[in-house]
Amino acid sequence: MEDGQLLLTLLILIPSLANITSFNIKALKNSTMISSTISLLLSILLLIEKGSLLPIVGLFYVTSFTVFFILMINSIYLLSSVYSLEYIEDKDVNGLLNSKTYYVLLNFFVSSMLFTVSVNNFGFMWIGVELTTITSALLITTEYSEVSLEATWRYIIIVSAGVTIALFSIILIYYQYHTLTVSTLLSLHQPSKLIELAVGLALIGFGTKVGVFPMYTWLPDAHSEAPSPVSALFSGVLLPSVLYVLYRVYQLDPLANLYLAFSVLSILTASVILTYQWNIKRLFAYSTIENMNLALIGLTIGQPAGALILLLSHAFGKASAFYSSGVLVKVLKEKRIDEFKGVNRLKLASSSLLLASLAVTGTPPFGTFVGEFLILRTLLERGLILPLIVLLIAIPLEFISINYHVNKVIFSGGEKGAVREPPIMSSISLISSIISLVIGVFYLLTVM
Amino acid sequence: MKEIIELINSIIVITAFYIQGQAYFKPQIYAQAVQSGLISVLSFYLAFTTGVLDYVFLGIAVIVIRATLVTFFLLKGLKKVHGYRENTRGVASELIIDLAFFLTALVIIYYFVISRYFLGVKDYYSLVFSFMLFFQGLFLILSRKSTISQILGYIEEENSLVLFGIFLIPIPFLVEASIFLDVLGLVLVSSVLTRVKGEHKVIEELRG
Repeated sequence: MEDGQLLLTLLILIPSLANITSFNIKALKNSTMISSTISLLLSILLLIEKGSLLPIVGLFYVTSFTVFFILMINSIYLLSSVYSLEYIEDKDVNGLLNSKTYYVLLNFFVSSMLFTVSVNNFGFMWIGVELTTITSALLITTEYSEVSLEATWRYIIIVSAGVTIALFSIILIYYQYHTLTVSTLLSLHQPSKLIELAVGLALIGFGTKVGVFPMYTWLPDAHSEAPSPVSALFSGVLLPSVLYVLYRVYQLDPLANLYLAFSVLSILTASVILTYQWNIKRLFAYSTIENMNLALIGLTIGQPAGALILLLSHAFGKASAFYSSGVLVKVLKEKRIDEFKGVNRLKLASSSLLLASLAVTGTPPFGTFVGEFLILRTLLERGLILPLIVLLIAIPLEFISINYHVNKVIFSGGEKGAVREPPIMSSISLISSIISLVIGVFYLLTVM
Repeated sequence: MKEIIELINSIIVITAFYIQGQAYFKPQIYAQAVQSGLISVLSFYLAFTTGVLDYVFLGIAVIVIRATLVTFFLLKGLKKVHGYRENTRGVASELIIDLAFFLTALVIIYYFVISRYFLGVKDYYSLVFSFMLFFQGLFLILSRKSTISQILGYIEEENSLVLFGIFLIPIPFLVEASIFLDVLGLVLVSSVLTRVKGEHKVIEELRG
């Protein structure tokens, strides 16, 4: 096996191999930390050596575009694993999961995402997407409650029913070309009516999991009820992984207008719903819909660099948003925006929450701003004025809504007095938001 | 011989109607097993007539995983209460709505999709049956509140895909088998949920 293939096999297997120690929770936590660190180091190695290793074509199909998704997944994996050490306390986990099962599922979940973005077969990509549902569904029930069970169920049934439509699309691709190998199909460029139908169905199918209108209803439920490290993985990397698959199908026969119309509608509806959000985690879930669809627009109109910067920066920014709101929910036992009191006593968490909200709303000089700017500029260059106008209304609306709500939470006033801030959780949250800022600053410094 | 295929296809659609009109869980689950069994019969029949070995593997996979294992896990997930049924009224009216829903969907799909895109396919009208089943499954998910019925709706959708694949082209067996195992995994997770949450209703915290 050549170097690149071996490296990818290791990357996919390492998170799952961490589960060998599942007989003992302490050993499992340690092996998860080790596996997430090694995974991140390997993906950095892949990024550094991409000149000599890429493209990897064979069992896997990895280009320099894919490497950023692998890096994104492993970065949030490491952050979420460390965050979980403090967040997932054994006494808090009951019902369907115990903390052992939590870590086991977390590791399998990461493996399934890595498999999804790397494999060189549309059929296996579909299986990878479904595997992510199987491995992550029960994670939502970690904080066992009536609401979290309902959210889990909605996630399973809506996403699975939606992704079934994507399988129609895969069958049509195979019928047309008699192969499902991604690298072969991307080099063919033989559009036809059937492939047009397949690409359209993929938007409904995979779009359900990406958060495309109108099938995104599961997303705020699952994101708000999952424990914060899992919400960070969902929002930061699961959705981009499926977006990656959708983009690969889209490349077979770009139906730009259809994809653009649905993405713009998604952003518009999400920004309107954002104005009256009452739950801090649901607020960030709707912001995810907005960011994912902006990235989809970027990919659709031929601005993959903008989409990539947006996704990368969003992954860290949104992870930080969920991490910091997780600190608030855990310490203050509150989710309602209007009910938060004394948040500013949690110095690190409130700072990172503020930074995260600026990051996910595309404030300069965060990476999300750079991505959004590139995408909007391309829309203007291509003469796509109507979507541009809608976005220029929706994006500021989203910016004001999220920052207004977050400021309300942070500067809520309330009783004075000491509150013990969880050190690991708050630090991880702050680190994550700073990385999002660094991505933007780094890009601006290198390009300008 | 064409008549045999059409007969089996029709019975498959009838099982979907039976599932829609049934409030008791056990008969619903068994009807799903029959539906999957009939699909495997179709697969074996096509293997016999075309000589393509893939159909044999597909038939075996359907009967082992979908008709047997999925049925086993669903029955296991079901609470062991005698005559356990869904807390719903108006099953018959749901059936009527279902009929209207799927006939409308079918006409649209047939007119805009099948007659336009699949004219070159041999026996292209057979694809109509898979679309019938797909919309039956979708409606079952939409119209019911219980976990079991909604899982069955999802399995019906998956069955429709197998049917679609059978009449269009069998996809590589390795991919097909993985899809089956995937569905089994999902049913396993769902049957775990069935034990703690049998029904689903609107929850105030999940609004907006």
